[in-house]
Amino acid sequence: MPNTKRYAITGGLGFAIGTFFLWNYPNLELGSALIGGLFIAALCLLYSAPLPDMVKGGLIAGLFGAVMTIVYGPEKPGVAIIAGMLSGLGAGLLAFQRKPQATPQAGAVLGAGAGAIAGAWTALALFLTAFVIAPAAGVTANDFAKHLSETVILADLLGLGSDILILLFVLVFCTITGALLGAAASAARALPLRPNIPLLAVIALPVLLIPLIDRAGNLLLLDALIPIYIFILLALGLNIVVGYAGLLDLGYAAFFAIGAYTTAMLSSPHLGINLSFWLVIWVAAAVAAIAGLTLGAPTLPLRGDYLAIVTLGFGEIVPILFRNLGGGPPAGTLTLRFFGMPIGIEQMDLTGGNKGINPISPPNLPLIGNFEPSNKIPWYYLLIIIMGLAIFFINRLRDSRQGRAWMAMREDELAADAMGINVVRTKLLAFSMGAMFSGFGGAFYGAFIGAIFPSSFDFSVSIILLCMVILGGLGNMAGVIVGGLLIQGADKMFIPKGAELFRDIADQRARATGGSTVGVSALQDLTQQRLLLFGIVLVVMMLIRPEGLLPNERRKAELHADDDPININSVAAEAEADPSVAA
Amino acid sequence: MAASQTPTSPQSAPLVPREPFLTKRRAFSIVGLIIFLGFFAIPIYQTILLEMIGDTGQLMQQIVIGLTKGTYIAVIALGYTLVYGILELINFAHGDLFMIGAFLSLIFISLFGLDPKTSSGLTIFFSLIAILGLVMLCTAFLNAGIERFAYRPLRNAPRLAPLISAIGMSFVLQNVGIFLGDGLIWDKIAAGLGSDAIGRVADAMGSQSVAPKNIPDLLPNGQVFFVPASLRYTYKDLLVAVVSLGLLAGLYSFVRFTKLGKAIRATAQDRDAARLMGINADRTISVTFLIGGALGGAAGMIVGLYNGTALFTMGFTAGLLSFTAAVLGGIGNILGSALGGLLIGLVLSLSDQYIGTRWSNAVIFAILVLILLFRPTGLLGQEGGQKA
Repeated sequence: MPNTKRYAITGGLGFAIGTFFLWNYPNLELGSALIGGLFIAALCLLYSAPLPDMVKGGLIAGLFGAVMTIVYGPEKPGVAIIAGMLSGLGAGLLAFQRKPQATPQAGAVLGAGAGAIAGAWTALALFLTAFVIAPAAGVTANDFAKHLSETVILADLLGLGSDILILLFVLVFCTITGALLGAAASAARALPLRPNIPLLAVIALPVLLIPLIDRAGNLLLLDALIPIYIFILLALGLNIVVGYAGLLDLGYAAFFAIGAYTTAMLSSPHLGINLSFWLVIWVAAAVAAIAGLTLGAPTLPLRGDYLAIVTLGFGEIVPILFRNLGGGPPAGTLTLRFFGMPIGIEQMDLTGGNKGINPISPPNLPLIGNFEPSNKIPWYYLLIIIMGLAIFFINRLRDSRQGRAWMAMREDELAADAMGINVVRTKLLAFSMGAMFSGFGGAFYGAFIGAIFPSSFDFSVSIILLCMVILGGLGNMAGVIVGGLLIQGADKMFIPKGAELFRDIADQRARATGGSTVGVSALQDLTQQRLLLFGIVLVVMMLIRPEGLLPNERRKAELHADDDPININSVAAEAEADPSVAA
Repeated sequence: MAASQTPTSPQSAPLVPREPFLTKRRAFSIVGLIIFLGFFAIPIYQTILLEMIGDTGQLMQQIVIGLTKGTYIAVIALGYTLVYGILELINFAHGDLFMIGAFLSLIFISLFGLDPKTSSGLTIFFSLIAILGLVMLCTAFLNAGIERFAYRPLRNAPRLAPLISAIGMSFVLQNVGIFLGDGLIWDKIAAGLGSDAIGRVADAMGSQSVAPKNIPDLLPNGQVFFVPASLRYTYKDLLVAVVSLGLLAGLYSFVRFTKLGKAIRATAQDRDAARLMGINADRTISVTFLIGGALGGAAGMIVGLYNGTALFTMGFTAGLLSFTAAVLGGIGNILGSALGGLLIGLVLSLSDQYIGTRWSNAVIFAILVLILLFRPTGLLGQEGGQKA
C-alpha cells in the first residue's frame, strides 16, 4: 500500500510543519496552532489525493492565487483580480500537462474547468480576507471597502455601490477570467502549430496587462515583480549550464555580480566613465561570457562533485574581489610591489568596497527620456523584451546542433566524446552562454536598483537560483519559469508581505489584550525563515519528486526508470504462482 | 584505502591507458588558470616573501597558530572524508553540524553553570569532558538521522540528488542554529518549566538570534612552561592540539584495527562486494555518519572554546576550509585529510598575517583550484579517484 504511506507522510508533515510555524506567532495559543495545523494537513492530503487533472490543476494554481490574495488582501484587495487571472492561466496549462493528445475543444473544456476552480479559490480567499483576516489585522470594514472600490475600477464604473456587491463582482470576475484564460491556454496548447504562437499570445496577455492594472489600481506590484523576473532570467541562464549541459554550477551568482559590476563601473560617475546603458548591457554580457570561459577552462578536467566545489569557490572569490578592490582603508594594508615598484590597486577604488557603487545611470530613450526609479512601467517592458529575446534564443539554442551536443554530454561525456563531439568546446560554450544571460540580468539589475553592493551576490543567491531550476524541472524552460515564479514569489512577495500581515495581526491582538509584541524571536520573523523554507523545499523535492514540478520528458523517464509498477506486480504475481521463487 | 587487488599477468596491458599529462584539456585549463590567477600573483608573492624573511619571530608565531588551527580543521575534514569515502557524497551539511556542535556546547556549559571566575579548575575539567561526550553524542545521532531521512532514500538516485539534498540540509541546520541561538525561545521554555538552568541558557544567547554568541573562556590561558617566552604558546593551544590529535589517532586506529572499521573500509571500496561478504552496508554507513557527526560536534566544541564565539554561519566557512583540506590531502584518505588540515591551517594563518584576513578565503579557493587541476586525487589520494 504505497499510497497509505504517502498520505500518512504528507498529512503528518503538513500537520507538523503547519503547527510549528503557526505556534511561533505571538499570541497564537497552542490550541489554535493545532487547529491550523490540522487544516494545513487536510489541505496537504487534498493536494496529494488522486484527483482528475482538471481539479488538481485548478487546486494547485488556485493555491497560488489564494495565498497572493490573502497576503496582499487587507491593503490591496485588487491583487485578487491579477491573482485570479494568473492562477486561471496556470491552471489551464497544468490541467493540460498530462493530456497532450487532446483536441483544442477538449483542451478548452479542461482548461475552463481548471481555470474556474482556480479563480473561485482566489475569490473565496478574498472573502476570507474581507471578513476574517482584514479585521484581525486592524483594517476595518470601512477601510477595506474603500480600498476595494478604489482598486476595482471596473466595479466602480458599473456603479456597484455596496461592498458585498463588489465582493460578489470580484468573485464572478475572477472565476470567469480564470476560466477564460485557462480555456484559452489549454486550447492554444492543443493546436497543432509548431511555434506555439497562440499559446505565447495567451500568456503574453496577462503579462503585458499587469502594469496597466497595477497602475490603475495603485497596487505597487511591479516593485516585487521586476526583481522576480530578473531572477528568472538568471535561472534561465543557469538552466543552460545545469539543465542542458549537466554541469553543476554552485557559483552562478559570480557572473551576475560580474555583469552588475561591469555596468556599475562603466555607467556611473564612480570611475568617471558614463557610457549609455544600451552599450553597456552588451559589454556586461560579453564580460560575463568571457568570465564564463575563464572559469570553464580550469574546470575542464573535473567532473561531478569536484566541478561543483570549484564553481562554488569561484562564486566565493568573485564577491571577495569586488569587496576588496576598493573602498576605504584596507584592514591589513598591503602595498603590492612589482619588481620593487609599489603598485596601488588598493588606492584606485575600483569597486567601492563594501559600500558598493552608487548611483548608476539609468537607461535613456528618445521618447521616454531617462527611466525614472519612480515609474516602473518602462523598466517592466524593457525587462519583458530582454526576457522574451532570451527565451527565444535559448529555445533556438537548445534545438541547435550545440544544444544537442550539450545534452549528449550531459547523458554521457565519454560516449559524446566518442561520437565526435568536441567536449572542450561544448563545455566552454555552455559556461559562457550561461554566463552571458546572467550578464544581461546583472546589467539590468544594476541599472534598475541604481546601486550595487557586494553582499547582494553571495552564496545564497546561487543556491536560490539552483533551487528555482531544480524545483521547476531541470532542463525545461517552462518549468524553470514556474519554479522561479514560485520561489521568488515566496521570497519577494509572499514571505515579506505575510510577515507584515502576521505582525499586524499580532499587534492587533496584543492591543486587544493589553500585551506587547516587543522582542520578536527568530522563530516569529518569517523573513528570517526563508532559507529554512528553501532547505526544506530542496530536501523534500529530492525525496518525492527529483525531476521537478514540470519535468523535461526525457529526464523524467531517466529518473523513474526502475519504479515501473508493472515489473513489481509481475514479480509479485510470479512469486504467488510459484512458492519456490518467493522462498 | 587498500592496495589494488586486481591480479595482472605480465603480458596484459592496462585496460585504460594512462592519460599523458599534457592533454589538450589540461593545456586549456592551465592557460585559463594563468589568466585567472596570474595577474595579481607575481606582486603578491614578491611582497609576501620579503615580509616573511624580514621577521622570523613573527613567522614562527604564525606557523604555530596555523598548526593549532590545522589540527581542528583536520578533525572537521575527517567528517567529509569518511562520508565521501563511503558514499562519494560531499556532505554539505557537515560544516553546519560543526556549528551545531559549538552551539550545543554553549548550551551545556550554561546548563552546567560553568563560569571561569567562580567554578574550580577540577569542576571545569570534568564538566568539559562530560560536555564533550554529550555534544558528540547529540551530533552523532543528528548526523545519522540526517543520513537516514535525507540521503538513504536517494541511494540509487542520480548523483546530483543527494548533493542537492545535502545543500538543503545545510540550510535547515543553519536555521536550527538560529533557533538554538535565540534567547527569547529559551526564555519561553524557561518560563514554561520554571528552570533556572534554562534561564542561564537564555542569558547566554541574548535576544539577537543572529548575533555572535560569547562562549566563556574556560581553557587555561597561561604560557606553556617549556616554550620560550618569545613565542606565545598557551595551554589553550596545547589542549586544542592534544584533543584534536587524540581524536584523529582514535579514529585512525578505529578504522584501521577494529572489525567495524574493516567493514567501513570494505563498504567504501565496493559496496556490493561488501554486501556479498555479509556486511550490512546500510548499518555500516550509519556508523560512518555517527562517527562523522561525533567528530563534527567535537570540533565545534573545540573551536567554540578556542575562539570564544559561536555564530550560525560559522559552519559554512569552516566547512569550505575543511573540505578544501580533505581534497588537498586526498579525499577518502584519513591520514591525507589530517595532513591537508595542517597545511590549510598553515596557509590560512600565513595569509591572514601577510595578505590580509579579507583575502584568506580567496587564497584558500585558489589553492583548491590549483590542487584539483594538477592533482585531482590530492596529495595522498590514489589514482583513479575521479569517478564520473
